[in-house]
Amino acid sequence: MISTLRIGLVMALFVVLLLAMNARLFYLNIIDGDFLQDQGDARTIRMERINAHRGMIRDRRGKPLAVSSPVVSLWANPQELPLSSEQLAPIAISLGIDSAEFVARVNAARDRPFIYLRRHMRPKEARTVLDMNTPGLYGEREYHRYYPSGEVAAHLVGFTNIDDHGQEGVELSFDDWLAGTPGKKKVLKNLYGEIIRDLVPVSDAVAGKHLDLSIDIRLQYLAYRELKSAVSHYKAKSGTVVVLDVETGRILAMVNQPSYNPNNRTRLDLASVRNRAVTDVFEPGSTVKPFTVAVALMSGLYQADSVIDTSPGFIKVGSKTIRDPSNRGELDLGGIIARSSQVGISKLALTLDEFEVAAMFQKVGYGQSTGVGLPGESNGYLPNYRRWNDIDRAAFAYGYGLTVTPLQLAASYLTIASGGLRRDVGLLNEGNLKETRVYSKSVADELKSMLARVISEGTGGKASITAYRVAGKTGTVRKIGENGYLDTEHLAFFAGMTPLKNPKLVGVVLINEPKTKAYGGGSIAAPVFSRVMGSALRLLNVPPDDPGGAA
Amino acid sequence: MTMAARSVFVPPTRCPVDPVVMGSALFLLLAGLIMVASASIEVSARTYGNPHYLLMRHATYLAAGLGVGGLALLTPLSVWQKLEYPLLGLSFVLLIAVLIPGIGKEVNGASRWISLGFFRLQGSEFVKLFSILYIAGYLVRRKEEVQLRFSGFFKPLAVVAAMALLLLIQPDFGASVVIVAAVLGVIFLSGIPMRFFLPVIAVCATLVGLLVTLQPYRLARLTAFTDPWQHQFSGGYQLTQALIAFGRGEWFGLGLGNSIQKLFFLPEAHTDFLFSILAEEMGVVGAGLVILVFTCLVIRALMIGRTAAKQGEDFHAYTAFGIALLIGVQASINLGVNLGLLPTKGLTLPLMSYGGNSLIISCALVGMLLRIEYECRHKMAVLPRGRNRG
Repeated sequence: MISTLRIGLVMALFVVLLLAMNARLFYLNIIDGDFLQDQGDARTIRMERINAHRGMIRDRRGKPLAVSSPVVSLWANPQELPLSSEQLAPIAISLGIDSAEFVARVNAARDRPFIYLRRHMRPKEARTVLDMNTPGLYGEREYHRYYPSGEVAAHLVGFTNIDDHGQEGVELSFDDWLAGTPGKKKVLKNLYGEIIRDLVPVSDAVAGKHLDLSIDIRLQYLAYRELKSAVSHYKAKSGTVVVLDVETGRILAMVNQPSYNPNNRTRLDLASVRNRAVTDVFEPGSTVKPFTVAVALMSGLYQADSVIDTSPGFIKVGSKTIRDPSNRGELDLGGIIARSSQVGISKLALTLDEFEVAAMFQKVGYGQSTGVGLPGESNGYLPNYRRWNDIDRAAFAYGYGLTVTPLQLAASYLTIASGGLRRDVGLLNEGNLKETRVYSKSVADELKSMLARVISEGTGGKASITAYRVAGKTGTVRKIGENGYLDTEHLAFFAGMTPLKNPKLVGVVLINEPKTKAYGGGSIAAPVFSRVMGSALRLLNVPPDDPGGAA
Repeated sequence: MTMAARSVFVPPTRCPVDPVVMGSALFLLLAGLIMVASASIEVSARTYGNPHYLLMRHATYLAAGLGVGGLALLTPLSVWQKLEYPLLGLSFVLLIAVLIPGIGKEVNGASRWISLGFFRLQGSEFVKLFSILYIAGYLVRRKEEVQLRFSGFFKPLAVVAAMALLLLIQPDFGASVVIVAAVLGVIFLSGIPMRFFLPVIAVCATLVGLLVTLQPYRLARLTAFTDPWQHQFSGGYQLTQALIAFGRGEWFGLGLGNSIQKLFFLPEAHTDFLFSILAEEMGVVGAGLVILVFTCLVIRALMIGRTAAKQGEDFHAYTAFGIALLIGVQASINLGVNLGLLPTKGLTLPLMSYGGNSLIISCALVGMLLRIEYECRHKMAVLPRGRNRG
């Protein structure tokens, strides 16, 4: 017999199940809801980056040297892109690429969720492609770096890579400052990582800070123009010009040849990327002679008018003979510098405490970082012998056996221009001036007037500037090859300051391996110095200190 | 007396079908259609390139299901009673055919389907219906034998055991549990002496225990079920994703179409785990309502069976019990799995989940139930009132 009781039991069982399931439903949805929602969020909510605008790099007058503009990078998820070539073709056409090639590329990446189609498109162009509403096609806001001054400031400013990270120059050394902080936004993603919904922005992107350099782009331009024409005229391998502001130690211009276009680096020659003004070292040769003379003046053994007999034009030191081009006879200290007498400076050096000379070189900045903060800067080389033999003492005094960078050479000449003060060179338009006295003002004034004689009666005549007086020193060194010094490859340079009375600018010009008959610093580097500094003085409205010379 | 119970005595001319069964079934079918539309949209778009692909298929099956249900409603129950043996035979043919390579189609390691070109026939769904018709017929024919001798009870059990065995070979553990539970339930309700019944229950429980522990993949599912978060990247993945769906739903849900779990996180969102998506989009309120309607449908079916029994229409009664138990057991297992009360098992939610076979057979069951109620009510109307003791 069918039992009513049993039917009732089964009904009761289903009612119990009803209650049990509703209780469980309540537990899951309400009691355990927070835990389960957190678990769900952990699987679905992701943080997306909002790219930050990179700060501008500007020159001392606010002219832009590097600017970021918004661009759109097109990317695709090949797993979502339409399968048929007919639907893919319009994308290829609007991108201006071969559609067969495009289809092949997409099909080759079908197992991947991400490929870039084209990066850094103009927003308007990207919009026309995105407006076709092809599934699987996306745009990402990025920033493209543009360098208005191109190759002129390329070495200083450097460049960023396509991901907006600094790779060279101040773009690299001040990357953190410029980069800013990317923002974050919460997004909801499905299992395949596709963004379903933008949720709240968690933090806005903080734009990078602007960087104001001490460079004056006008000086940079004219220095670059003069250097480029000189390097091509002399068929030189490379060249460098550095101009410093005496008052602050700041760099006003720093140019090199060869250079490159930072806006189009498709055919970049790596040798042209180097900022030779800080990375390349050379033996400074005669340009260090003033500092040897400074030690002589400070030793109390010599006065400015002390006379050294350089006859007969050569001197035997140890096994080596040091020669002047001709017998220069009796020279005072200024004469030794003006005529650049190796014999005179050697004789002088051999009477001095060699450790004092080395200490002076060290004090004017050789063998150590300038602190300018440019990537790849070389410290140069300053020997630190325990015992010096005579030939080393003599060679050291006229600038062999140590190496410096063009910037170090400029910085050391700044100590003369500033009246014996060493000022740290800098690249930024701000920060405190740091100076230390390295020798007295009277020594500096003596050196200045000796260096002025280099222009008026010595090797540096071609460095003279109309209406301004110049003090400076030429340098010509032979380059070192596999078998010692080479007779045919030279480095011609000039370091100087102007105007003489109260120097405003210090400049260094260096021409590497000129292929012309005349290869000396006086004939090759000095004219460049004259043209660059002359234009710079006029541009900066520096009053002439030699109006009579104007005629 | 409830309104549902009263309706049995409504003359056939006033209401052609039972409103509770009809209302519950239509509610569940409609809710199922809406939820399948929502849960399948992303899967359809990604897999078939058309966001409405699975919805259109479901709608087609639903139309077919309504047709089949209508036919069942028009078919006198005596027809089914006469077809008892042919249908039993057909059950075994189907169960064996799916196992034969070339006829049976294997999907995800289980060969459960026979491909008919436009439609994949799932044998076990039909066997569910045929098995309860068989047991109902058997219990009517061997009324005395079943009550008196254990052999009378044991014979149909052997037949059902053979079906269950064939289902386990596929393997389709879920379907065999549903069929065995429904058949045993019908036998229990038929009033069989407990001294026959209890040992069989004990044996069945032991067998299920052995099946679970002996097959490593089932044991793994079981351990994953007891602590899904420990196995969230292996066996417990699906369950944790289902639980997250519930947790998101809170009281009123995220709103229709707003499920996150259906974005491919929860596998089988439109089939076996449709209820989780429902709970996510509709909350405790919507999901609780669905559980309630299922319970109403099952209890109403049991009441219809009881009424038939009182009228002495035993075949009607047993069939109604069978339908109640098939729907009740399968729905309970599916909901239990979704809610993490039972180990994960591949069973659809009757009347709601995507899946043509399940939907059509569910509709057929409802159609038959309506027919039983109709025939009983009709008989009641023509009988003298004095004989009505209910």
